[in-house]
Amino acid sequence: MIETLALATLVACGVLAAFGLVLAALGRVPGRELRVATIAVVALLAVQAAIAAVRALGAPVPEQSTFLIYLAVSVCVLPVALNFGYAEPTRWTGAVVAAGAVATLVAVLRLQGLWAAGGG
Amino acid sequence: MADGDRPVARRRATATGPGRVLVAVYGVFALSATARAGVQIATKFGQAPVAYLLSALAGVVYVLATVGLASTRPWARPLAWAAVGFELAGVLAVGTLTVLDTGDFPDDTVWSVYGRGYGFVPLVLPLVGLWWLYRTGHDRTGRAGRP
Repeated sequence: MIETLALATLVACGVLAAFGLVLAALGRVPGRELRVATIAVVALLAVQAAIAAVRALGAPVPEQSTFLIYLAVSVCVLPVALNFGYAEPTRWTGAVVAAGAVATLVAVLRLQGLWAAGGG
Repeated sequence: MADGDRPVARRRATATGPGRVLVAVYGVFALSATARAGVQIATKFGQAPVAYLLSALAGVVYVLATVGLASTRPWARPLAWAAVGFELAGVLAVGTLTVLDTGDFPDDTVWSVYGRGYGFVPLVLPLVGLWWLYRTGHDRTGRAGRP
């Protein structure tokens, strides 16, 4: 893991969650803006996952399998939430994406914890 | 017509509106609980078999609840009621057991100490789920959804 990149993904997930919740609170049906924001966050997560996976495979961290599973989860949750949320576009779509963003944030926090335990 | 034969169409589907947020949260828990249990059982089952089997059971319950809430099939609503009800019983039972005596649960499960490790969401989630199932089980006038 790279500390700056991990921090950036945490902030990005937090902002995305807030964005989705604000849209839901305002009663707005999200359009392109939330979709584009989500895809941007997923791109950032994918870059982090690729780098972290390469590093972990080179120098294994404690609980290697858990670490790799969390990496995959951190990338996959938001696209699924996005599709599910937009399948029925309502004011709640933003909240669905926000739920995915919070779950991703927790996964990244857990990844950081596992990485720190390895002294990385 | 018997109570159990009420047409599903009169009820609101559980996976619409705010229900979609609920399904999303259940989906996240289904994924994390089953993945966690899978890793625990695969890598260190001997350390705490009871806790890890309980994790796996919780994972299955979350998967069933997610499917029950997301689907509109006739069996979906009873499945969701059963799974969410079991989930509430599980989190209360395991929560109470772990508060009284931590000896049998050396490794935390999703339901340990009422889901403290997950921000107590495992305790709140079934209550919201049961309320939502009750609410969508009635038609718009608030009466039971009879034909």
